[in-house]
Amino acid sequence: MKKILLMLTAACAAAMTFTGCEKAAEGGAKKLVVGFDADFPPYGFKDGKEYKGFDLDLAREVCRRRGWTFVANPINWDAKDMELNSGSIDCIWNGFTMQGREEGYTWTEPYVDNSQVVLVKVGSPIKTLKDLAGKTVGVQTDTPVQKALAGKDDGNKAAAALGKTFKKLVVLPNYNNAVMDLDSGAVDAVALDVGVAKKKMSDMPGKFELLKEIVMTETYGIGFKKGNVQLRDEVQATLKEMAKDGTMAKIADQYKIERAALILK
Amino acid sequence: MPFGEMLLELLSGLLVSAEIFVFTLALALPLGLVVAGGRMSRNPFVSQLFRLYISVVRGTPLMLQILFVYFAPYYVFGCSLARYPRLLATVLAFSMNYAAYFAEIYRGGILSIDRGQWEAAKALGLSAPRTFLRIILPQTVKRVIPAIGNEVITLVKDTSLAFTIAVTEMFTLAKQLASANTTMAPLIAAGVFYYVFNYIVAWAMERIEARLSYYD
Repeated sequence: MKKILLMLTAACAAAMTFTGCEKAAEGGAKKLVVGFDADFPPYGFKDGKEYKGFDLDLAREVCRRRGWTFVANPINWDAKDMELNSGSIDCIWNGFTMQGREEGYTWTEPYVDNSQVVLVKVGSPIKTLKDLAGKTVGVQTDTPVQKALAGKDDGNKAAAALGKTFKKLVVLPNYNNAVMDLDSGAVDAVALDVGVAKKKMSDMPGKFELLKEIVMTETYGIGFKKGNVQLRDEVQATLKEMAKDGTMAKIADQYKIERAALILK
Repeated sequence: MPFGEMLLELLSGLLVSAEIFVFTLALALPLGLVVAGGRMSRNPFVSQLFRLYISVVRGTPLMLQILFVYFAPYYVFGCSLARYPRLLATVLAFSMNYAAYFAEIYRGGILSIDRGQWEAAKALGLSAPRTFLRIILPQTVKRVIPAIGNEVITLVKDTSLAFTIAVTEMFTLAKQLASANTTMAPLIAAGVFYYVFNYIVAWAMERIEARLSYYD
């Protein structure tokens, strides 16, 4: 038994040497590891062998201009803060809403205006936000609109009041599940980002429609680890350059994102 | 995206799942024996230690253990995770977890062998380690195969938990393909792949069982 224990200890020690223990270093990245939710077209998704999308194409272009190696790292959205704080990823860049999370990250300036809308099936009796009273509404897990509708965002009383009228607020793991739930009648409506909603409507034409009223306005930013100002500044400077020379608008066209939604000056 | 291309992508994910599966079994099957030995040790300190290990591992979700094994070096010791492969953390977490379950199966198997066999071996002049290796263990292996088979099949399906720390195995790829193409087809295809994988595993376990029943 003692021998076995000794061997186990030795194996553990060997494993630690093998993985190496360097103190976490920050800034001065030669490669940019972008954390994103790959279930999130058109901002980040799998296309053939590659990960593409509006945000990933922007990130790839920033890396190209700065001479960094671009690494697209799909993450488990629930573990994003652990991934970022431990240095496993350098930033969260994936239609990442700033509202309600202002204090948690070092943010770039907002670059996309993204209103939160309600998607329903064509011919649904729900025509206005008021009609949502007594209905089952789906949202994606850990999104600002979920927080607001659940009454956990103190800055947004209107959304909290709206959320109270629902029969139930169903929290779904990703947008694809949410749309599947809507299609199959498991939920009556889904509250989601306007960009995602439009993409789903063009993928499945004639199935869904949007309510005219919006739930709340949101903006997207790129989130860096709190305090990582240097990397944020570098990325932001290049991103602004791309906004000025029209590269950003070109990429937006490619993914059917309205140019009017681009707000970085 | 054509369906054939999707299947190819899924197959590349299946390779990752299979990697987790093979390495976990290679580590956990022997490690389980060590844990079983520790748990049955006459030294009360050692046996309590292993009892605690089994209790914690079986009493907490595997998903949490995966997160812990990957992120603990940073959050506990402040080490950078830059050179800590996610796949390694996954295999370590799975092995620690499955070793605890295997240990209890082995222990049940070892205890099911009649004590009289130990006494008979001793009367014939065999040493305790020799008795264990040559007489008890071969019989134990035969008895635990069906229970081990259960765990092995569960392991195939549990590989989908690896995405907790961003290892894109087959199920994660299936979900990504499903949302990128707005179709259920990759999920159904993934289900078929899991079933075929497990069918082969179950077939192999049956073969092993048949090979070992040389006295029946």
